[in-house]
Amino acid sequence: MILQSPHTAELLDAWRLQLPLLKQLEEQASDLLQKAVREQNIQLNTFEHRMKSEESLTGKLEKKGYKYNTIYDITDLVGIRVVTYYTDDVDKVAVIVKQIFDIDWKNSVDKRKHQLDSFGYLSLHYICYLKEGPLRSIPFEVQMRTALQHVWSAIEHDIGYKGAVKLPPEFVRQFSRLAGMLEMADDEFSRLRTTMSEYRRQVQTLVKSGHFSEVSLSTDSFRQYLELKPFDRLNQRIAAVNQAEIFPAPMMHFLTVFENFRFKNLGDVQQFIDENSDDAYQLALSQLAVTDLDILSETIGIQNLCLVYVIKQGGGIFGVKSVFDAINGERDSNAILAENALHQAQMLPFMHKL
Amino acid sequence: MKTTFEEKDGNYVMHFEGRLDTAASVQTEQEMKVLHNCEGHDIILDCAQLEYISSSGLRLFLALLKVAKSKGSKISISGMNDNLRQVFAMTGFTHLFEFV
Repeated sequence: MILQSPHTAELLDAWRLQLPLLKQLEEQASDLLQKAVREQNIQLNTFEHRMKSEESLTGKLEKKGYKYNTIYDITDLVGIRVVTYYTDDVDKVAVIVKQIFDIDWKNSVDKRKHQLDSFGYLSLHYICYLKEGPLRSIPFEVQMRTALQHVWSAIEHDIGYKGAVKLPPEFVRQFSRLAGMLEMADDEFSRLRTTMSEYRRQVQTLVKSGHFSEVSLSTDSFRQYLELKPFDRLNQRIAAVNQAEIFPAPMMHFLTVFENFRFKNLGDVQQFIDENSDDAYQLALSQLAVTDLDILSETIGIQNLCLVYVIKQGGGIFGVKSVFDAINGERDSNAILAENALHQAQMLPFMHKL
Repeated sequence: MKTTFEEKDGNYVMHFEGRLDTAASVQTEQEMKVLHNCEGHDIILDCAQLEYISSSGLRLFLALLKVAKSKGSKISISGMNDNLRQVFAMTGFTHLFEFV
């Protein structure tokens, strides 16, 4: 058993007495911060909080207990760590922390400004206090960093870079190179996010203004396009056959079908709708008119458009089945659905014009 | 119309037999309520003996889908004959369910 100095033992006793208050502080501070971050829609990789363990506190006091007069001179008895995906978001979280807590600037560190030879410790450490309430005199620490910085920090710790053994210069150099690379990656991810947001805004503007042929077909642009409800008119026309209710359903998976059709931009999709809507209606009508089915999926229009298009292109049973495969997932029974759709289409006017 | 419920290999299984038409749908809706407590279980709707499904039947399946989705459970439909599958296809609902 290691003998503790009287000062360490005294501080540990004081700490044990304060444990219920520290637990309350941990809950209040973490709840406040988590709620505020959520309200700002900042996506986090991790949000964690902890109370310092007795083992860790004892170690700290044994090493540098002389620095602390009272237990609250130790500022990380309660700690919160916020790990973001992007460097920009570290700054945003820092602003939130400054708004909702009082900061002890003398003891807070922006290691991003001071640490020139490492990467993992490029985090922000703020020593904070609650702004009000009975716990407002107890300090706690908030660490903010990106996911890459977090991972680096863990690896650095695992390898023992900061350990007792002095590393040969070639290893230090290797560490520095990796650190630089990760810092660049962090910056690039942030830049990429900004660029993509800008791209999304441009797509949104073009889609809204109806310049479809200028917008490449992509997940983003197709999603924006669907917001314009381009299949609603056809859906309503089909629904009128049996006065059917339209049941909401996702349509994003039809993007794969359009990619298989080699559509390049939203103009191609719009043209596809304009040129095939009447025939898609005829196909749906031929199937539904002989039933009393009065509930239809929102995909009814787009599905019939795809079937008609592929039939008109001469895709035959293989082509029609491939549409069903893309919509329903590949399965043998799609061949029967394809056969039925093709059979139904044989009787329709557009087949005789081909 | 007859339904039977069982728990099999951790899944909730309901067997359907007969014609699920408007007349049968009220009773079937009651019987399907047991599937609504599906937290932690996937659902299998065994339709091998199902002869007919109307819009009312489709609505029951879609309502169950909504509940199951909110509880993180998956629904698969097994043994459905080609005619019934055609009903799902012509109404555009095939992609919402997994057919096995």
